Amino acid sequence: MEKLRLRVQVGLAALFNLGLVQWHFICFPVFNCHSCPISVFSCPLGVIGQFAGVGLVPLSVVGAVALAGLIGGRILCGWACPFGLFQDLLYKVPYVKFQIPSWTRFIKYGVFLGLVVAVPFFLSTSFPIYFCRLCPVATIESAIPWAIINGTTEVISLSIRLIVLFAVVILVMGHKRFFCKVLCPLGACLSVFNRFAAIFPERNSDCIDCGTCNKVCPMETEPDKNSFGVYDDRAEECITCLECHKKCPTKAIELWG
Amino acid sequence: MLRKCFFAILLILAVAGIVYGGFFRKLLVYDNLEKFDKLKDAGITIKIPGYDQTQNQLTVQSQWFTEPEAVNAMTFDGIGLYKDGRLISKFPDLRMLKGRRPCPT
Repeated sequence: MEKLRLRVQVGLAALFNLGLVQWHFICFPVFNCHSCPISVFSCPLGVIGQFAGVGLVPLSVVGAVALAGLIGGRILCGWACPFGLFQDLLYKVPYVKFQIPSWTRFIKYGVFLGLVVAVPFFLSTSFPIYFCRLCPVATIESAIPWAIINGTTEVISLSIRLIVLFAVVILVMGHKRFFCKVLCPLGACLSVFNRFAAIFPERNSDCIDCGTCNKVCPMETEPDKNSFGVYDDRAEECITCLECHKKCPTKAIELWG
Repeated sequence: MLRKCFFAILLILAVAGIVYGGFFRKLLVYDNLEKFDKLKDAGITIKIPGYDQTQNQLTVQSQWFTEPEAVNAMTFDGIGLYKDGRLISKFPDLRMLKGRRPCPT
């Protein structure tokens, strides 16, 4: 399953950055910068931020994110996101590993509401803490390539971007999928739909509560605890990587929700 | 049951948003005459094909953009907000926003 997921991730990362066409009027709800010289689709966060800057809501983009979330929750995080692939590969680098407190997962909701929506709406997209000006994906896929292609006079801006990228890389090397858990605003949007998604791993009656699924989960989900406490034991952080399905001793994890 | 109800409602809203935003919604965008004024101060006289006017006779032009066209323009920061709340092109020519990217330099 892990090899299949890796192949799908690599294939989709290549597809999103094919460079042969530019369909930026279509937004595919994964974390892939549309300022990348070879990007095919537009990034939902960049579009939402730009529209917030002019006081509008991009209904088609919000609808696309919602539809993706309703179909599979955060499955795109686990199977399609190029930055998720980047993080999975980075974590394999031998480095000091560390744990993070569970409350840090709420930071990403603040990142979305603050840096993606509020900053462009109340200030402007030119403001230094607008999310796209700090985004590590934009630094890798856009800022660095364009600085190489065209050169740049915005040394301070590029330096800040590189510092943020460096910090994220260090943190991702030390904690699995750190960015997804703590900072990703798109993950924050999609996580809301995990509770309603059509495709979602769930435990059936064969479960013997051995806890293997929780131990192998890269997102450290805790399906026994209702963190948002309303409906059932679905975990907001689950990216449907299916490690639990692979490792479950009684095959009690079913995919279709 | 409750989850299925929420799923159905959110699905309808999501599809409605995609259909309305993708096919029906229109946004009015004005061209950016301030850029032309700056060029005039620099002693540059230009004729814009399609406008059929010389520089000192320009009047503000505007076009209706579909939301996908606006999404595309937003990806290169092509649309801004003017002081009176109008959507305004950040490039002198509105045609630069429609399906064409300006030179990245």
